[in-house]
Amino acid sequence: MGKTMIEKIIRRAAGKEVKVGERVWCNIDLSTARDFGGANCVLQFEEVTDKKGKVWDPDKVAFTFDLQAPSHSEKVSTNQKIIREFAKKQGIKKVFDVDWGIGQHVLLENGLVKPGDVILGTDSHMNLLGAVGAFATGVGNTDIVASWFEGTNWFRVPETMKITVNGKFAKGVCMRDLLTHIVGTLGADGMFFLSTEFYGDTIERSSLSDRITLCSMVTEMSGKIGLIMPNGKVLDWLVERAGKEVVDRVKSLSADPDAVYCQELEFNVDNLEPMTSCPDAPDNVKKVREVAGEHVDQVHIGSCSNGRFEDISAAFEVLKASKSKVAPGMRAIITPATREVMLQCAEAGYIQKFLEAGVIFTNPTCALCTAEHYGALPSGDVGMSTTNRNFIGKVGKGSHTYLASPMTAMATAIRGKITDPRDILG
Amino acid sequence: MENKVLRGKAWVFGDDIDTDLIYHNKYLAETDPRKMPQYSFEYLPGKENFAKEVKEGDFVVAGTNFGCGSSREHAVYCLKYAGVPVILAESFSRIYYRNAINNGYPVLFVKGLSQAIKDGKIKDGDDLEVDLEKGEIRDLTNGNSFHGDAVADLEMDIMKAGGLIEYLKEKAASK
Amino acid sequence: MGKTFAEKVLGKAAGESVSAGQVVIVEPHFCMSHDNAAPIWGTFKKIGVDKVWKPDHLVFILDHAIPAPTDKHAENHKQIREVVKEQGIRYFYDVTSKGGVCHQIMCEEGFALPGLVMVGSDSHTCTYGAFGAFSTGIGRSEMAATWATGQIWFRVPESMKITVKGKFNKGVSAKDLILKIAGDIKADGADYMSIEFHGPAIEEMSLAERMTLCNMGIEIGAKNAVCPPDQKVLDFIKPIAKTDEWEAMWADEDAVYAQELNYDLGDIEPCVAKPHTVDNYAPIGEVKGTPVHQAFLGSCTNARIEDLRLAADILKDKEVAVRTIVIPASWSVFRQAMKEGLIDVFLDAGCVITNPGCGPCMGNHEGILAPGETCISTANRNFKGRMGNKESNIYLASPMTVAASALKGEISDPREVL
Repeated sequence: MGKTMIEKIIRRAAGKEVKVGERVWCNIDLSTARDFGGANCVLQFEEVTDKKGKVWDPDKVAFTFDLQAPSHSEKVSTNQKIIREFAKKQGIKKVFDVDWGIGQHVLLENGLVKPGDVILGTDSHMNLLGAVGAFATGVGNTDIVASWFEGTNWFRVPETMKITVNGKFAKGVCMRDLLTHIVGTLGADGMFFLSTEFYGDTIERSSLSDRITLCSMVTEMSGKIGLIMPNGKVLDWLVERAGKEVVDRVKSLSADPDAVYCQELEFNVDNLEPMTSCPDAPDNVKKVREVAGEHVDQVHIGSCSNGRFEDISAAFEVLKASKSKVAPGMRAIITPATREVMLQCAEAGYIQKFLEAGVIFTNPTCALCTAEHYGALPSGDVGMSTTNRNFIGKVGKGSHTYLASPMTAMATAIRGKITDPRDILG
Repeated sequence: MENKVLRGKAWVFGDDIDTDLIYHNKYLAETDPRKMPQYSFEYLPGKENFAKEVKEGDFVVAGTNFGCGSSREHAVYCLKYAGVPVILAESFSRIYYRNAINNGYPVLFVKGLSQAIKDGKIKDGDDLEVDLEKGEIRDLTNGNSFHGDAVADLEMDIMKAGGLIEYLKEKAASK
Repeated sequence: MGKTFAEKVLGKAAGESVSAGQVVIVEPHFCMSHDNAAPIWGTFKKIGVDKVWKPDHLVFILDHAIPAPTDKHAENHKQIREVVKEQGIRYFYDVTSKGGVCHQIMCEEGFALPGLVMVGSDSHTCTYGAFGAFSTGIGRSEMAATWATGQIWFRVPESMKITVKGKFNKGVSAKDLILKIAGDIKADGADYMSIEFHGPAIEEMSLAERMTLCNMGIEIGAKNAVCPPDQKVLDFIKPIAKTDEWEAMWADEDAVYAQELNYDLGDIEPCVAKPHTVDNYAPIGEVKGTPVHQAFLGSCTNARIEDLRLAADILKDKEVAVRTIVIPASWSVFRQAMKEGLIDVFLDAGCVITNPGCGPCMGNHEGILAPGETCISTANRNFKGRMGNKESNIYLASPMTVAASALKGEISDPREVL
């Protein structure tokens, strides 16, 4: 009987044959923590090892700073300091400080992620690394600390869902809209504990950025991981960063043709429209045109879901086509995912143009996902963002957020009310 | 984990209670688990008083997908150290589930709980009796009863050890 | 007997001839408030007046915490937006790409004008003296009263004349001069006084350098600080002036000063203000090698394009050794820096560039210090705990010294890397 990707990945990591439903101990390729949760990990590790513990392999531990980068509270500054000092003491070199950007993206850009890698992180959207076939998962501090002992942790081998996507996006429609549509269709627990493999010609043609968007939102359906094995340009990009071993990994870890899936779904995007998650849940999905005209106070483009160069480029195309500026009274903010993305934006001349149009740029960081960083909303304000969650009060008590694609977000910023980007792009 | 019958009041929640509602991102910088209970459910409309009013021994009762969202372990600590002895839910999000097990914090998967909550068969303030070992839950206020499934073997072992760290220490010591 | 600058400007505003020591009541021109417009509004409402005296004289500029880093800040901003709408405030700089640090915006947008009496609910309002304005910081209650009545009283200050000649040596800039002055006369050396900068070296200075000098007037206790409104100023302000009520005014040759100081720029060397006071002067040699954890290039004192150029010259094609936070003073400075390729230089060097605003200067966000950390900063204050924890240290220095120190991770002499 054939194996799914996750079965093969866990088999590699466990060093033995595995069955769905089984709990197995796996070797961890990379155990990471952020400035959120990272200090908790360090303090817990020091406590349980009486400050004498050594992490199993300093080369396989990394820290990323993106919750508050740069910090705006003494507590986070102190947490960041705790991490820096621990890294120094343990000889951990992979510390991506406040100048780098969103953790998973930084790890990816630095060639630290290969297909089949088992990666832990204190970030529920770690699993976006499934976009290059890695099994990355968000965990709490105890799981991280446990992995630092011997480089292992346990997993239940999940069932796998197969989603096939065919067709071409119409102008103004993109992967984010498909994803929003899938979340609306399957609901907040539609991928409960599952691994999901994505196939189809839409996926095969898609950019890394689109794959990241897709895999990041698996969390919002309670999925364990969404997996796409790199092909084409994504494969070339990854080989360049992470080395030739990537090619062998893709070969050995791709699913067998006769792999067993617990559920198979098909989507066609030919007739898909711009979609939005309305307040206050990601699965409260409507077509953008159904809520067009609703007032919005602030638009924020960025996050681990949609903060890459391609996302910002898509927003730029809308701005360009509008021959217009941000609506009066609207706050429009772009937060690039990483420093590399920010440099790409600068080189493409986008930053100047966005600034001329009234949009502001922040330094690369998570920002818009908490009420404790750039773009927090006051009570009664309505925001639109390209992030992945809009639970009530998430970015400020009494505020509400629509989630949408970078194109819809930009169109909304320009018109000052929810706008279908096709109204601008024609 | 002690095998005893617990009694306490119910705090009842719906489906998809996410980690920002349990423990808001505003307080992520906290590193002392014992200081976390003061922020529990602060952002959940109607439950803002939880942190102040919850008593040791009270139960958290919820529908499906409890703890969806972030990986923050704060969302487990804030209930554990508030003295909530066990969380009863129809289902738990995977990270939340791991975080609970890893801290030796009992959770019970209770079939039909989501619908029962919607139907008013178990309400805020109800007196509950919970037999952790047997998974039996009785609502003493209205006589309804529910059955909760305990966790799988490995998780049970981890829980019995008192959490993942303790489990690994035991494992290392027995080598 | 001749008049000082302060006597002339306040006299004109009061409509009579005045001398130091006299109390005058005047109508100020522009009244600037930043994020504290919200609490001022709270006080204003208690006065029992419905409308501000002249909505076109109020300028609101959000800069202390933008974009809102917490929902509390967001609530504060929201309240200001509501006041703007309700009162018809004409000049409002929200969280958009037109904004930046309030004092920078006041200067680059043509509010800071010669001969105007201006007040701001921020102590560094004295910066506008670089354009020949009599400008001073006031408290929140006084600002609320000013909104209500359009009047404010001043005691006409005595004046201090600082005459500057000579040329800066390589690696030395206006910041070093003002830190040296602070070290010489101490934090209360010019208490209540009006500082006038005179001399050929001031005339040679760019407007940016003059802003640095005037900005720090408050750090030596001055009510205001001012440079002559020369041709450089007039050329700059004429196309952008927000009002034509300005008049270039300057002290008479025979004006009487309470104190006179003379400096030769050739004598100034790179220096710092050590923790925890601005007058705790030390020449660079004395503190060289002190480890730092963070470098901050920003604030209303030193984040203009001229400052960024000086720092970028040092950082080009190199990498910083500590976290280095660069915050241009305004979005127009940011855009100019992009055009000149400076943003690339900073990013390539490993700096964080944040959106323009006050950043970590007063401990709000974008680089708060942990216990035991040390920051070298181009800002204007190094009071204990200002940028975060009480157990952190701040050294104030010039953009060049900060850049040089960022490269080595310890306080360094910029002359050695230039």
